[in-house]
Amino acid sequence: MTNKEKYKKAFSAVCPSDEFSLEVEKMKKINKQNIFKTVAASAAVCMIFMASATVAYAMDVGGIQRTVQLWIHGDRTDATIQFDGDGTYNMEYTDAEGNEKSMGGGGVAFADDGSAIPLSEEELMEELMAPDVEYKEDGSVWIYWMDQKIDITDKFENGFCYVKLVNGEETLYMTVRYKGGYATSNHRYLGPDEWRGN
Amino acid sequence: MKPSVEQLIEKYRNNLYVMAFNVCKNTQDAEDVVQDTFIQYWSQKKEFESEQHIRAWLIRVAINKAKNKNNTFFRRNSLPLEDYMQTLVFESEESSELFEAVMNLPEKYRIVIHLYYYEDYSVNEIAAILKLTQSNVKVRLSRGRLLLRNTLKEDWEYDE
Repeated sequence: MTNKEKYKKAFSAVCPSDEFSLEVEKMKKINKQNIFKTVAASAAVCMIFMASATVAYAMDVGGIQRTVQLWIHGDRTDATIQFDGDGTYNMEYTDAEGNEKSMGGGGVAFADDGSAIPLSEEELMEELMAPDVEYKEDGSVWIYWMDQKIDITDKFENGFCYVKLVNGEETLYMTVRYKGGYATSNHRYLGPDEWRGN
Repeated sequence: MKPSVEQLIEKYRNNLYVMAFNVCKNTQDAEDVVQDTFIQYWSQKKEFESEQHIRAWLIRVAINKAKNKNNTFFRRNSLPLEDYMQTLVFESEESSELFEAVMNLPEKYRIVIHLYYYEDYSVNEIAAILKLTQSNVKVRLSRGRLLLRNTLKEDWEYDE
C-alpha cells in the first residue's frame, strides 16, 4: 500500500457529526443576515459622503488641496484631497476599475474642558497616511502602508500579530489584534496585556 | 461557470470538513468553516474558469477560515486529540497511528502534507493554493515526511 493510500484510509475515519447539516435554506437565512450587515455599513458610508458633499460647497470658496498616494480598498492610488479648515476633507480618486470616486470625512479632538477642536490638516493627513488593515473575503489579512503591502494572515499567534514597518528613517512597531484594531509606536510593540479593555 | 451550491455541497462537503479539521483540530470549528466556505461561495458573484478552479478556491478559503478560527481569542472548548480519536473508527491500528502522527505535525507541514496525500495536489498546485513558492512547498513536504517517518518508522515509506 502506498503512502497516499495509507493516508486516505486513515483520514476516511473523519467525517462531520450526524447533527451537522448544510441545508441550503438555512444557509440562505444566514446569508440574508450578512447582506443586512453590508447594507447597514453602506448606509453609514452614505451619511459620511452626504456630509462631505455639503462641505464641498464651502470648499469652492477656498481650502487647501493636496495630491497624495493612498491605499484605498487594497489599491494604491493617487487621491486629491481638499481640506476646508473645519476638520473635514473631501477626496477624489480613481478606483481599480477606472471609475471616478469621491468620499469624505473628518474628525475632532476633545480638549480638557470637553469642547471639540476640529483636527488640523496635518492631523487629518496623519490619520489618512496611517497603516490600514484589511480582512479580505478569502480570509487573508493585509497591512497597507506607504508603498508596502504585507500579507500577515499566518503571522497571528494567540490573536495578536507584531509587524515592524520601516519607511526611510521612520519605523513603526505595529501590534494588530485579530479583528480588534491595531496600535503603533515608534519605539516598541504594545503587548497583549496592555491592550485597552483587557 | 458557477455550479449551484447544492452540487458543490454534495461533492466537496466531506473533503472540506477533513481539510478544516486538519487545521482546526476541532469538530465544531471545522463544521463552521465548511458552512462559512459554502456561504462565501453562494453569496459572491465570482465566476470560475473550471471545476478545478472551484475546488482549489473552496480549499483555499476553507484553509484560511480554519486558520482564522485558530487565531481568534475565543476558541471553542475542544476535546483533546486522544479523546476525539476514541470516537473515530479506524480500520487498523496503523491508520490510527498515522492519523495521530499527522495531527501532531506543525500546522504548516500538516496542511501541505494533507493537500499532497489526501487531495492529490502536485507541488505546483499546492504552491498556487497556498500562495507559496514551489521550493517552500517542497521544503515543508520534505520536513513533514521526515517527521512522519521518524514517528511511524517502517509504516511510512520513503517517497519523493
